[in-house]
Amino acid sequence: MSSDIRAGRQLRAEVIDRSLCTLCGACTGLCPYFVAYRGRVAALDDCTVDQGRCYAFCPRTPTDLDAVSRATFGEPLDTSPIGRTVDVLMTRAARDDVRAKSQCGGTVSALAAFALERGLVDSAVLTESDASLLPSGIAVRESSAVLERARSNYVAAPTLAAFNREANRDDVRRIAVVATPCQALALGKMRASPLENRNNIDKLSLVIGLFCTWALDFERFTRFLGERTPLDRISKLDIPPPPANVLQVYNGSERIDIPLDDVRPFIRPACNHCLDMTAEFADLSIGAAEGIDGWNTLVVRSDRGRELVEAALAAGVIESRPLPDANLDHLKGASLGKRRRALANITQLTGSDDDLLYLEIDAETRRKLLG
Amino acid sequence: MANMATFEKDSPQLLMGNEAIARGALEAGIGFASAYPGTPSSEIIGSLAEVAAEAGIYVEWSVNEKVALEAAAAAAFTGVRSICAMKQNGLNVALDFLVGLALTGTKAGIVLVTCDDPAAHSSTEEEDSRPVAKWANLPLLEPATFQEAKDMTRWAYDLSEELKSVVLMRGVTRTSHARGDVRVGERLAPNRAAKFEPVIPLEFTSLPAPLKHAVAHQKIAKAREIFETSPFNWYRGPDKPELLIVTSGSGWFYSLEAVQTLGVEGSVGILKLGTTWPLPEKLVREHLSRVKDVLVVEEIDAFLEGNLKELVGEDPLAVGPTTFYGKRSGHIPATGEINPDIVTRALASVLALEYRPVAADYAQKASALTAGLVQMRMVGFCAGCPHRATFWSIKNALRLDGRDGFVAGDIGCYSMAVGPAGYWQIKTMQAMGSGAGMASGFGKLAPFGVDQPVVAVCGDSTFFHATIPALINGIYNRSNFTLVVLDNSATAMTGFQPHPGTGKNATGEAAPSIDIPTFCRALGVRTEVVDPFDLQGMTDKLLELMRDEGGVRVLVVKRECQLVRARREKPVYRMSVDVARCLGESCGCSRLCSRVFQCPGLIWDAERGVAAIDDVICAGCGVCADICPAGAIVRERA
Repeated sequence: MSSDIRAGRQLRAEVIDRSLCTLCGACTGLCPYFVAYRGRVAALDDCTVDQGRCYAFCPRTPTDLDAVSRATFGEPLDTSPIGRTVDVLMTRAARDDVRAKSQCGGTVSALAAFALERGLVDSAVLTESDASLLPSGIAVRESSAVLERARSNYVAAPTLAAFNREANRDDVRRIAVVATPCQALALGKMRASPLENRNNIDKLSLVIGLFCTWALDFERFTRFLGERTPLDRISKLDIPPPPANVLQVYNGSERIDIPLDDVRPFIRPACNHCLDMTAEFADLSIGAAEGIDGWNTLVVRSDRGRELVEAALAAGVIESRPLPDANLDHLKGASLGKRRRALANITQLTGSDDDLLYLEIDAETRRKLLG
Repeated sequence: MANMATFEKDSPQLLMGNEAIARGALEAGIGFASAYPGTPSSEIIGSLAEVAAEAGIYVEWSVNEKVALEAAAAAAFTGVRSICAMKQNGLNVALDFLVGLALTGTKAGIVLVTCDDPAAHSSTEEEDSRPVAKWANLPLLEPATFQEAKDMTRWAYDLSEELKSVVLMRGVTRTSHARGDVRVGERLAPNRAAKFEPVIPLEFTSLPAPLKHAVAHQKIAKAREIFETSPFNWYRGPDKPELLIVTSGSGWFYSLEAVQTLGVEGSVGILKLGTTWPLPEKLVREHLSRVKDVLVVEEIDAFLEGNLKELVGEDPLAVGPTTFYGKRSGHIPATGEINPDIVTRALASVLALEYRPVAADYAQKASALTAGLVQMRMVGFCAGCPHRATFWSIKNALRLDGRDGFVAGDIGCYSMAVGPAGYWQIKTMQAMGSGAGMASGFGKLAPFGVDQPVVAVCGDSTFFHATIPALINGIYNRSNFTLVVLDNSATAMTGFQPHPGTGKNATGEAAPSIDIPTFCRALGVRTEVVDPFDLQGMTDKLLELMRDEGGVRVLVVKRECQLVRARREKPVYRMSVDVARCLGESCGCSRLCSRVFQCPGLIWDAERGVAAIDDVICAGCGVCADICPAGAIVRERA
């Protein structure tokens, strides 16, 4: 695998220039050359390194999913519909104010804040947006800072730039990252990287994954949205579960519903090639509990994740209920659906049924992944 | 110490060609001298500026060449002898007025010196000024020696007044910048009883143009007569040569050396012409009629050669069958600079002589021998130059912006950004002011699909010279671009001459300083000022301006030229490399400082695999500390 690792020039040619970049931010913040700027990764200059971390960490360069699984969980790749699963629950933040600010149940914010408060980690890497909805990664040290940023806007964010910077700080030892599936995969690739310089990945103590169907392109989406409502007054964006099929834009007391079909043209092309809906390489993966207002679905994947959830429940920071079977079945179906669509898109792009772009998987694994 | 104004009459002086011209002008009693600086002409007015007070003359750096010539002509119209100097590009700027002046004529003597730059050592184009004399009907002189540069200039004023015409004098880099012995003459005092007093209507206008055009032709006819006996045309060689070399200017010494090198003094004659337009026809025909073979040696274009052929063609029987060798035959390269070796090869070839001054593999052997001694260096900005920082930020801003924005360039030190010095950022570059002019056009092309951000650059001196009309054009026509003014408070490329923004005039006195941001704001355009050494600040500001597509924006990047500053002050910082932190060639850096940023003060210690500071070259500007990704470049107050 290590001989397959190339460097910046190939990252540009194979990923960025082909619009395959997910804007996870894994290649940025490592060196002076790759910089995330307004919804894209810009290459400022050429680099002469033969094997670069940028290429090694990118979730769209050749990826050995089994190696990532082993590095993340110590187990081979689990091909079941929502990946490796220790437990699946329905949870929500105990505090009303946290839930009110959050998308669904506020579990992500509550857990990240709790991890900081308990000293389980000393830094949490999150995503925040400015008044123009431009998202960026930020590392916070205080639980109150987590709660201030409880909000999502569906715009792709180079969050891992902040992780890369944070991992190089001498005063930080344990870092939690709230990550989308592509970001969780990039973090997994950092763990699995055979390069000598692994970006202090041992400091990565917790990955809280987010369910993700797709992310939007900043420039094009905000231009579209800005023509409909002032961006700096938007308090919350939400996509309620089907069959609503709208993007809800909360602007002060007003709410504008935009049909999802109007928004879909702004989905980043890279999302079409993503197999992962549930952040399968995270310690915990969290999304909406469909049809159950104010609750999250929580997938526990690792011992690290399980310990945190148990401690948070014990401390009364979150509350849990069993997830109805129908919900789990639906989640699995949706996850499989994303895998199937992505694989079809990949083979359509490559023009070959054998060329799966970045996926280094054998035929049997592929069959299993497709359910 | 004796200076140019106080040389003792008849004393020998070692003078640069341009100084000899300046001294010739002083001897002619000029009262007025003006120019816009431009290599290789700058020392003419520069040396006069140094002695202006002592000589009692007025000397100015004008805002551009056209204004310089207009100002000099004004003096001549009142009876004050004047000189104006410029490089070949500058002549193009002055042409509009020059043609009008040629028709108008003059009262007192006025000499326009243009210094051409064969091979464009310090120019953006290679151009022969001489054809202008032919179509604008101006007498043209070409000095060949240092003594002649002085004497010819002195005489040009008498000629100018006799013809009532501006006289064009053409030098080239080697006649302008080499030094030689000059025996100086007496200095006339400037006319201090001058007055502007037209005697007849339209006297100081070019009207009626058809009539004045005819008069200009008469002046040329008169000049031809005068030139027949000019001491600046001479012949050296046997009475009946086998081959005649006809040459002018720098070609004289080269031809002489070629004849001596080949030992053909007995069979080859040299007709050296100092008055090359109009040609002294009788003199030339007389020499041509003695030979069948003629080699023409001249610099840049086949101007002399063409005129000789024209002359033969007008009366072929008077001269007889003549074969011309020169640029048209390929014996002398059609473009570029010539030298004694080129002329010797040409002469040997015409004479069918063997000429091999060095072994065939000499060049390869020489480079092999010197390879280890000479460091590979590109043309670049000085250590500590603000332009490097500026183009670093421009590059980063354009790449971050990601819309394929580009830079329309202009003329100045920063022109070097067409190459690695400025990270190849300048994509167009033609003439003074053409950055903003091009941008003005580029910025109107959105309806045709050009949706790229347009950035124009210009220097502070260039801003005053020719950018202002282009900027106004862009504003008036609602174009869409960002003009970056690289204000280093000097005309640095040509030797730090002052300009309208510096608060000093040519003779070092305080002058009104025109503030570029205030000027631009008065035009109603958004104008921001940044320090180029604040890399992040400048990058952010440029990104912001490029996204603000409401017409023309101006970003004034202000930081004094490092060479000017260093004459006055010690370096601000002492720079060093913390080798423990330096990432060197590994992932995370890949030698950003010495490989990409490329300040000559930054070197690569290949043995240790770390960056290092060249303390001799480092100017202590401190900028590189801000680019190092590892914080390994340390800046301490010096």
